[in-house]
Formats: sequence, structure tokens, C-alpha cells
Amino acid sequence: MSKGVPNMDQPRPDLVRIQRWMQSVISHPDGIEQGISSAEARAEIDVPLSQIEQVILPSQHNSSVDRLKVYGNAYYARLLECLRESFPVTAKMLGKETFDQFAFGYLQQFPSTSYTLGRLGDSFFDYLQQTRPDREQRAAGEISWPDLLIDLAHLEWTIEQVFDGPGVEHAAPLSVEQLAAIPVDRWEEARLVPVECLRLLKFSFPVNEYFTAVRNDESPPMPSPEPSWLGVTRRDYIVRRIPLSRPQYVLLSALQHGVTVGEAIERAAKEVDDLDRLAADLRQWFHQWAAAQLFARIEFAE
Amino acid sequence: MRLGHDNLGLGLGLRTVHYRDILERQPKVDWFEIISENFIDSGGRPRYVLEQIAERYPIVMHGVSMSIGSTDPLDREYLDKLKRLARHVNARWISDHLCWTGVAGRNTHDLLPVPFNEQTLRHVTERIRIVQDILERPLVLENPSSYVTFADSTMPEWEFLTRMAEESDCGLLLDVNNVYVSSVNHDFDPHEYLDNIPHERVVQCHLAGHTNCGTYCIDTHDGRVIDPVWELYAKAHRFTGGISTLLEWDASIPPFDEVHAEVLKAKRYMGEQLPAAEPMAANASDSPPSGAHPLSEPVPHPLHHVAPEVA
Repeated sequence: MSKGVPNMDQPRPDLVRIQRWMQSVISHPDGIEQGISSAEARAEIDVPLSQIEQVILPSQHNSSVDRLKVYGNAYYARLLECLRESFPVTAKMLGKETFDQFAFGYLQQFPSTSYTLGRLGDSFFDYLQQTRPDREQRAAGEISWPDLLIDLAHLEWTIEQVFDGPGVEHAAPLSVEQLAAIPVDRWEEARLVPVECLRLLKFSFPVNEYFTAVRNDESPPMPSPEPSWLGVTRRDYIVRRIPLSRPQYVLLSALQHGVTVGEAIERAAKEVDDLDRLAADLRQWFHQWAAAQLFARIEFAE
Repeated sequence: MRLGHDNLGLGLGLRTVHYRDILERQPKVDWFEIISENFIDSGGRPRYVLEQIAERYPIVMHGVSMSIGSTDPLDREYLDKLKRLARHVNARWISDHLCWTGVAGRNTHDLLPVPFNEQTLRHVTERIRIVQDILERPLVLENPSSYVTFADSTMPEWEFLTRMAEESDCGLLLDVNNVYVSSVNHDFDPHEYLDNIPHERVVQCHLAGHTNCGTYCIDTHDGRVIDPVWELYAKAHRFTGGISTLLEWDASIPPFDEVHAEVLKAKRYMGEQLPAAEPMAANASDSPPSGAHPLSEPVPHPLHHVAPEVA
């Protein structure tokens, strides 16, 4: 075993304190030495840096602090890598260094509390919103580059959740033929239930096109603010993105909230000037959406 | 039969980059080990792939988040999910590590060491019994690589493992690479370690590569198995009389055939011969990479992130 003798005059810390101490030391944002000296660590085991060998023994070749650094280096490195993999396009847009600065701040405010790294980015989108430097301007309705960042992070996290979340690959979504067979007189009272994996997103920027360009290794200029709407779903285990207009977004959102087709169309109609054109479009929209397997089933009131 | 488990032969850790190869070619691999956390919540492609592979190959579940040594409460929801997946894919056994991953509700996603003393022993054995009751099967625990030694430890790791396994009636996953890595980091004799663990409780063996940083080693799972680790494996093979053996390769992962060839080298250490036509790659040596800077860069193997497929 390693050399070094604990100071047996001191009462020995129990396992709870050792674990709380070690966690606070290896996850301290300023490194191991600062971690050992931090109030959080010393509340558990009150050992100064100079007496660290009372807790962690040195080895023949490495000091106690250097040995702890293996865990300290790994803590942020591992989690930053995971976030970069979850938000690859956001990371590419910002560059590794800037992305890591955001992610480093995020990990301090939202450390992982789950058994899975699949939940690590759950609050990243909220964190970016809470910490944006232009909150006052945003509250006044101004759109600026942080909105693009937030939109992109929102899109990437949604894609990740849809990719490995529940899907309909083993179910039989509503087909185009089934949709066409709905009697005309029952259409308005029908409820079209969207598939569980459908997410409807609205953005301040045309983020879907930007996402595609960055993902294809292009270097697109920063787009100008412009509202955009997107459906994200999954078919055959592959995530599909469906660009939407505002009326389409309103219509699908209404269906997702469980209202009847008639009520959903009424809501969409408030978004358009030309009702005749909407009436003509609706048939095509529903056909396209059924072909894209956006509806799980149709329900009628008893 | 070890704790009721067969010798499954030579297996590989199932990794995303090899999914297509495995599904299309159905290679002659004896069994696969999965990282449990990558599948227990999956409702997409990873779960679909696993179900297809489980129809053709024996599956063992290997976890990194049980946190058996933590002083936080056990996560019952997590354990229930493990149990459900194990039934679904007919997992031959469920393993994790003798470690803790976090405390106070947090998860560091690292395999953190425990002090080896009577208090920890009582704590860990009690939790193993609870887990085994929930899972309704013996738990198999692996010796992790570690990088610090606690002043509070009062016994060597092998004594702790032995008493833990015997008092809780669990199985052991002997990672011979971890024994080697820890022997360098903690200045002990890895052969003495192997001589002193309860051989009859070893259900499985792990092989992997690591990074030599000069004065210490890090368990990076990013390369070939080095000769001193193969020697430990040969010893484990002798004292067990043959055991389920698995190669882990988690970073800088080469093509499937290369990973498969690496685990097949284990046959050299069983007193068997490989078929003459089978290529035999040279073994790796254990030397620090040129320009290696101690205490920087290498990170112990992470969980895998599965990149989404987006049209």
C-alpha cells in the first residue's frame, strides 16, 4: 500500500463526509487546491491543503494533490465532451472555447443529478435563457444573437430527445387512406391525435436552415431574425424535420392540445387573410402530414 | 458454472460504431456486453438494435451508475429499469463497479473509489444484499481503476473485495487491466492481488487498454491490451479454469474486425492455438506516449453518447 500515515489523533471522518468532501474537491471549478480550501469541502473535512495527507495518501511518485487531479481533470473534461456531443452544431457555431465557457458555467449551476448522461443537457436551453447578457433588451422585444444560440440549443436538444424517446415504429400510424376515408360530416368533430414523438417548435431565427448548413460543414453567415416554425418527429428511427408556416404550427399545436379538427382549423384561420386559400391548402396539408406519419389515430366523440 | 453462470467465451463491449457491422455480418462473437445506461431508457434506434442483437447473441448488462458505495439512497427507479431490461434481453447477469458515482443527489459520472475499511464494508455489503433482493439475482461487481488511496483504508483492495463478495454472496468481475492500472497507481504487486481474491466467485474477466502517463496510469480503454495485463489474464485463466472474457474499447475505437482480433488473442493465454489463417496483431507495450504530460488530457472512459440520426 502507499506510504503516508494518517493523523490518528483526529477523529476519523465517516463515509458520508469523505464522499461529500471528495465530490466538492474534484468538482471545484478552480481546481483541486481551491477545492480542498473551499468552505464547502472544509465543512465536511476541515483539513488544510498542507495536511491533505491526512485524508488522501501520496503514492511513491505522486503527491496527494496530483492524485486527486486525475479525478478533477476528468470531471469537467468528461461532462464538457458530453455536452459538445449533445449540441454539436451549437458548439460549432460558437467555437469550442466559447461553447466550453457556456457549458462550464452551466455545469456549475446545473450539475448532473441523473443516472444517465442522456439528461445532462436538460436545462442547458433554460440556462442560456436565464444568463443571456441582453435580458432587458429581450424583455423589450428586441431579437439578437443570443436568440439564435438559444434557438439552436433548443432544436438540438429536441432532436436528441426525439431520437431516443418513444416512437411509433412498432405502431400503425394513421395512413393517408384512413384519413381520406373519414366521412365529411364527421370531419369537424374528429380529434386527430398526433404521434407521441412529434414536437412543435417556434423560433426567432430561421434556425432549421442554419442548422442544416452548419451540419453540412458550410459556414453560413449569421441569419437575420425572422420567425420560423418547425415540426420534429421520428420515422424508421431517423429524426425528421418538417418546416411549418405559422398557420400550420397553430393548427398542429391545437390538435396536440386535444381540440377537434374543426376548432383547430378555426384557430389556424385567425392566422391567415385568405380563407379560400386556406380551405384549399388544408386538404394538401393533412395529406402530407398523414404521409409523414404525424398522426397516431383519429377519435370521435361518443 | 460460477454462481450458476456459464463460461460464455470471448465477448466484446457493444459500441454504437459497430452496430451496422454486427447487424449486417453477424460476426462469430461469443457474446456482447452492453452499457446498461445506454439502453434502459431508450425508445429509439439503440434499443431496436439491442433487441436484434439479443436474438442472436448472449447479452450481459454492465452498468456505471448503480453507485453501490454511495451514502445516498439507492435509486429504486434505476434498479427497476435494470431489472426490466435484463428480463427483456435475457441478460445472463448484471454487473457494475465497486465505487460511488456521486453524493448529495449529484452524479459525477465517474467511478470514484471507497476507503477500504470496516465501515465501508458494512455499508457496501448491506446495499449489495438490497440490490440482489430487488434484482432477484446475484450482483456481479468489478474492481475499478483508482487513482487515490484514502488514509482511512485499513485493508488492501483484494481483502475488501474478498470479504465483500463472501459476506454479501455476490460475484466478481475481475478487470485485469484495472488491477494493473491500480497496481501502478498504488504501488502494489498485481499478482499478489490476483492470488488473494476468491477465485470461485469470479464470474467474468475484463480486458482493456490504458494510458501510461509515466508515474501513473489511466484507464482510458483506448488501445490494445499490454503484455503485463495479458500475463495477469493468463493467471486468471489458470485459477478459474476458463472464464467469460470481454474486451472493452471505448475511445479511438477501430473497425470491428480489429477489436474482435484483439479479444481473440486471449486464446494464446488459454493454451489453445488460433487457426493458422487468423491474423495475429502484435501486442502493445506499456510506455508513456511521447510528449506525455502527467496529469493532463487522458480521461477515464466515459459513457457513450449516441449521436442522433437526422434526415
